[in-house]
Amino acid sequence: MKRDHQAISGAGGGGCGISSGSKGESSITNKGKLWEEDQDAGDMDELMAVLGYKVRSSDMADVAQKMEQLDMVMGTAQEDGISHLASDRVHYNPSDLSSWVQSMLTELNNPVLPNSDSNSSKTQQKQQIVSNNQSQVYNDDSEYDLRAIPGVFAYPQTKRIKTSTGTDSSSSPPTESSTRPVVLVDSQEAGVRLVHTLMACAEAVQQQNLKLADALVKHIGLLAASQAGAMRKVATYFAEALARRIYGVYPQDSLHPSYTDMLQMYFYETCPYLKFAHFTANQAILEAFATSNRVHVVDFGLNQGMQWPALMQELALRPGGPPVFRLTGIGPHQPDNTDALQQVGCKLAQLAETIGVRFEFRGLMVNSLADLEPKMLDIRPPEVETLAVNSVFELHRLLARPGGIEKVLSSIKTMKPKILTIVEEEANHNSPVFVDRFTEALHYYSSLFDSLEGSGVAPPPSQDLVMSELYLGRQICNVVACEGVERVERHETLAQWRFRMETSGFCPVHLGSNAYKQASMLLALFAGGDEYRVEENDGCLTLGWHTRPLIATSAWQLAAVV
Amino acid sequence: MARSNEVNLNECKMVVPLNTWVLISNFKLAYNLLRRPDGTFNRHLAEFLDRKVPANANPVDGVFSFDVLIDRGTSLLSRIYRPATAEEPQLNVAGLEKPVTAEVVPVIIFFHGGSFAHSSANSAIYDTLCRRLVGLCKAVVVSVNYRRAPENRYPCAYDDGWTALKWVNSRPWLQSQKDSKVHIYLAGDSSGGNIVHHVALIAMESGIDVLGNILLNPMFGGQERTESEQRLDGKYFVTLRDRDWYWRAYLPEGEDRDHHACNPFGPNGRSLEGIKFPKSLVVVAGLDLIQDWQLAYVDGLKKAGQEVKLLYMEQATIGFYLLPNNNHFHTVMDEISKFVVSDC
Repeated sequence: MKRDHQAISGAGGGGCGISSGSKGESSITNKGKLWEEDQDAGDMDELMAVLGYKVRSSDMADVAQKMEQLDMVMGTAQEDGISHLASDRVHYNPSDLSSWVQSMLTELNNPVLPNSDSNSSKTQQKQQIVSNNQSQVYNDDSEYDLRAIPGVFAYPQTKRIKTSTGTDSSSSPPTESSTRPVVLVDSQEAGVRLVHTLMACAEAVQQQNLKLADALVKHIGLLAASQAGAMRKVATYFAEALARRIYGVYPQDSLHPSYTDMLQMYFYETCPYLKFAHFTANQAILEAFATSNRVHVVDFGLNQGMQWPALMQELALRPGGPPVFRLTGIGPHQPDNTDALQQVGCKLAQLAETIGVRFEFRGLMVNSLADLEPKMLDIRPPEVETLAVNSVFELHRLLARPGGIEKVLSSIKTMKPKILTIVEEEANHNSPVFVDRFTEALHYYSSLFDSLEGSGVAPPPSQDLVMSELYLGRQICNVVACEGVERVERHETLAQWRFRMETSGFCPVHLGSNAYKQASMLLALFAGGDEYRVEENDGCLTLGWHTRPLIATSAWQLAAVV
Repeated sequence: MARSNEVNLNECKMVVPLNTWVLISNFKLAYNLLRRPDGTFNRHLAEFLDRKVPANANPVDGVFSFDVLIDRGTSLLSRIYRPATAEEPQLNVAGLEKPVTAEVVPVIIFFHGGSFAHSSANSAIYDTLCRRLVGLCKAVVVSVNYRRAPENRYPCAYDDGWTALKWVNSRPWLQSQKDSKVHIYLAGDSSGGNIVHHVALIAMESGIDVLGNILLNPMFGGQERTESEQRLDGKYFVTLRDRDWYWRAYLPEGEDRDHHACNPFGPNGRSLEGIKFPKSLVVVAGLDLIQDWQLAYVDGLKKAGQEVKLLYMEQATIGFYLLPNNNHFHTVMDEISKFVVSDC
């Protein structure tokens, strides 16, 4: 993970700390309002917006002028042989054309030679050669890069209405219509009939026509048996969940946490989603920690702590030495009173010692994140210690109880983190309408299971695959068969989370082209790598299977107080 | 390369609306970053910068779309666009491949542009264009996500086009009621236009009928430097140098621009005389530096006795069809709708 790139940071690193080009230099006053005005879609050139670019009509001439300047500067740069400085730099948020152009202009007008930074004692020339060699040796895996982001149809959603106190627990942005990205992989006759029957069954359940639903569920079993691969497995899990709902046999979430941890480990190994989540979140955290000597990470879901060795290794490699690294890992109470958190903490401590990082660990057991109080976390002042809060697939659970998410976001604000990293499933599995939820989940898990199939857990153990499927199967069961506080897999889309975060007093920290590139390269390590897609979406990164984004990483900071 | 400065930039700004100028200049600047002098391509940055949109099975403005994996081996995806019917505003996934109901439904297989190296079927600019074509021609549009250069050279793009065409031709749900056949048109811009020609050739030789070819600013070239190339080099967003780069990236190593892929009626080309070939609609922008090659293409078709209509848009630059804010756009869209409908 090389971070010796100079950042093009017009909009990079902070969506609302620096104003975009035409407004002149960063104006620190009126900050909260400023970004909101930036989001006002009313002034945006509509034709450009449809094509994925946010440019205000009133800024168009200014953007054009900057482009002309950039054109000239780039032409000169080319002759001087430093033309690819710009392409070696980190880019952020390409939709914001004004900032993008401005940052390149700034960079090219004041070129900072690469060897002034971190790990390179190389000369500039050698750096060029190194990067060229990499580009020649690197066998590009991304030929078929069909990557989808909720682009065009998310733009109507950026008409954000500022709620007065942000206590509105409804998470829906004022959308015109939602997007339903569908990738058909299996258009064989039997597959279509199977889906049809599943949908019909869901309809019957919604209409409380349990007799019909029962008949259909049995029929699904028959149809599924004649299918192969991912489709069969998905159908089986969905059928089972439907059956539970029909017969009223709801699953208890009484599995020992160590069992669920184990399932997650298999999932972690089999496919890239968790690794992507950890990797991209760590990128953002590392950048936030760049200038600190004391850092603290609060991890909302420690599990087996798999995210942290990589971060610690990066910290260890920092020029000038690693900061003091404090980790607070949060996890559920263990039924048998074992201290699983401490066990993980110990392992991490051992690693820290071998790589020379001063490390402190603390475990906190709570039933729900909503039970957390900032004072439990021993937060130190920002001048003393930089705080990152990290949440991978945890926040959506809070939506099961009213007030939960609001309490947690409020606590986070009290902690004053420099950065908050959030990874969530990219789907709306929280619709109150059962059939809608069912349909969404069917598409989502079909893609997910298809990717497991495709990432060919090369030569067995197929046990990994089975365990991974079990891990996902439990989610399916929860989405379909459970209700109320039991239904914790309340996934919501990036657009929905964005809305919630921005109306709760946070603003985005953009992930850039370096994170994008390295995440893409990570995927190449998985069989089926070219079928996974990383995408940039308004400063966030998503990972998907073919054109269907499946998880999204976003980073946030506190919106500056006006 | 002659450093075109303020004079030319101002000229250029006078012939297109400001937002079009910004859009195309954005591509020009971004693409400059991506092409490396050694012939390699910064694919990661390219994908990062490209603005994409997902398929959407919910109709928007009367059109819905979904993606299909046509060929697992090459990960060949295509995006299908269909008109939403009033009776079934929202189809579930089982209904996406519902049979077309009209007597005659044109199916337009679309190949996006990008000089063989850039863009994808889900690039926002092309998703938008394809959606327009659905309403314009009352057609189903199939946008092919073909493999790109320099990672995949000739003939990969043509192979993928041919694979997609065979797939389309064999879908029962795309057959028109009138004759239980799929009524196929090929359309594409820039490199996509080039692909149209070559795939049509393969199709006709294999006995699959293509009813019409639509080539928007098609990408052709040759070893010779033509008058238009010299006159317009660097003046309207495009340089000879970048054109050369893309051909070097697409053509087999060691081949020059008289390779038949680049120059179908050149010294290594072949005559289409006596061959059954679809009627063609060829749109040429008057400010496109490769127009001499495009006009030569039209000539080549005429000389072979093939039916071809040339639309020469004098004051148009590349990319004029990306935004509906100019007369050229509307003229061309009009012609396309007449071209596709005139079949029945």
